Amino acid sequence: MRWEFSNDAPIYTQLIQQVKVGIVAGIFPPGERLPSVRELATEAGVNPNTMQRALAELERDGLVYSQRTAGRFVTEDEIMIQAAKRGLAQRHVKSFIEAMLRLGFRQEEIVALLKQEIEEGTRDVSTGM
Amino acid sequence: MSVLECKELCKRYGRTAALEGLSFTVEPGRIVGLLGPNGSGKTTLIKLANGLLTPDAGYISVCDMAPGRESRSLVSYLPERTAIPLWMSAGQLLDFYGDFYTDFRREAAEEMLGHLNIHPRQVIKQMSKGTREKVQLIMVMSRAAKLYLLDEPIGGVDPATRDYILSTIIGSYNPEAAVVISTHLIADVEKVLDEVIFINQGRIMLQSSVDGIREEKGMSVDALFREVFKC
Amino acid sequence: MLGKLIKHEFRATGRVMLPMYLVLLATAVGSNLSGRWMLGSSRSALSVLGTLIVVAFGFAIFGVLLMSFVLMIQRFYKNLLQDEGYLMFTLPVSVHQHIWAKVIVSAVWFIATVLVIIGACLLVAYEGGFWRQFFDFLGQLLGGLQKLKISEALNGTVVLAELAVLMFLCLVAFSLQFYAALAAGHSQPNHKMLWSVGCFFGFQAVLQFGGSMLLIGLNKLELSRFLDWDPTPIAAIHVGLLMSIGVVVVYGAIFYAVTTFFLKRHLNLE
Repeated sequence: MRWEFSNDAPIYTQLIQQVKVGIVAGIFPPGERLPSVRELATEAGVNPNTMQRALAELERDGLVYSQRTAGRFVTEDEIMIQAAKRGLAQRHVKSFIEAMLRLGFRQEEIVALLKQEIEEGTRDVSTGM
Repeated sequence: MSVLECKELCKRYGRTAALEGLSFTVEPGRIVGLLGPNGSGKTTLIKLANGLLTPDAGYISVCDMAPGRESRSLVSYLPERTAIPLWMSAGQLLDFYGDFYTDFRREAAEEMLGHLNIHPRQVIKQMSKGTREKVQLIMVMSRAAKLYLLDEPIGGVDPATRDYILSTIIGSYNPEAAVVISTHLIADVEKVLDEVIFINQGRIMLQSSVDGIREEKGMSVDALFREVFKC
Repeated sequence: MLGKLIKHEFRATGRVMLPMYLVLLATAVGSNLSGRWMLGSSRSALSVLGTLIVVAFGFAIFGVLLMSFVLMIQRFYKNLLQDEGYLMFTLPVSVHQHIWAKVIVSAVWFIATVLVIIGACLLVAYEGGFWRQFFDFLGQLLGGLQKLKISEALNGTVVLAELAVLMFLCLVAFSLQFYAALAAGHSQPNHKMLWSVGCFFGFQAVLQFGGSMLLIGLNKLELSRFLDWDPTPIAAIHVGLLMSIGVVVVYGAIFYAVTTFFLKRHLNLE
């Protein structure tokens, strides 16, 4: 898993996002044990306390749960994972739309452009480009 | 109990003041960045905490003790320079640390040396500068100390070594011990730190948590540092 | 902890001194062989080789003497005052233990060097009947000793012991004068080595001045007038040796105090 950080937001909120992506993308599959705080912190190159804080936040949201001795596990609740996936998607879409609006596109134009781009993308794939 | 405490700490060299009334505490479980431009007093502070210098006024304590022979068994210190004797082999260095420090975890050190493919018979003199720095860091981090004082651990090494050093520091994290890292290379260590202390001309400019700065100012510690110390 | 410091100090110095001793002993054996077969040989090449070996032996003696002296200074300087000082002075060990470890180890090497040189000279002198002569000599010596009165034997042993102690203390005090100069010089912010050399000669001057003042003072006091004492020769030797020991102890103690003062209070490693 690749960990990347921007400079404008707190590190722990970025960690929350990235672990969420990991769960949604199946890098951390449902019901599986998460690596320990130390392992995750070493992998991400971040402070263990910050990682701990991010995981505690995810636990409060219900995406992960901890078992006293065995460590932290990813939730088995598919609905919750789907909700997280939607949430992440919405953030991307929102920031995309904001960027397009700033460039001066109108809403219909954005939709049209998006459609066109997707169709071209599938054509490229089908022709083997 | 705080691991490191300073109150109105002053130190001067001849007529020039190196530290002018420093006060702060470092709690266990914290990784603290001591950040400041060259000559701001970082090394002086770390030397005082090791008892390599004596304060002119105010006081400094490590685990509620004045720095000295007793406190040194609780402090693991990485000096700015390569201080390990170059004539020793890696194995002799392990003996040395094992003899003087009861908290030295020899197996941990051997394992880390093994990861770097360093043989116990290899002589330090024949290692590259980067490898020497790594070996020295391994010795320092293999102690189960209460306070780690790392003076410029990533200064003057290549980026790969830098990553290795930082991940070794994270991997050795112990919730009962504190780590103080002095550096001016902030962008590289920022993510590893809980809190930062900005120091300039012997005074504290700011003490805050890393995410506190990012939350309040909407910028990285590195960016804030550049703003505060703009020439 | 002192024991551990000494152990590691021997490790650091032994890797230099032991090979030196080996070279010395090897040239000694070479000189012995050279004396028997090469020198005065009709073949000039062999004769030249023999001479060279004997010269090498001379250099080796000079070398080990010089090396034990250089090592005494160099270990203190490099191990405590240079980069390694960061490691050494942050060990859970006191400054006193550091100084004692250095002083004891260098004194031991000085003594070992003298013994090895004596051994090497015996090696050179060795020939067929050597051991017989040697044991004859020992036998004569023992025979002579047996004829001694108990008081004479006792006095002799004590004088020897006093001499040994005096020699050891001289070595210790001698090293301490160098250590004090280095420690004082390196407490200066700049030109540390220059200051050290200056301090050494400064100490020397103060010492000589103080010493002569003391002697003049003692002379002026004319103590002998108060003392109605006409010692036997052996008693005079004892008194002389014990007084010398006392003087050397004071001399060493002064430099010990100077060294600890600067290492504890004023040293600022670069």
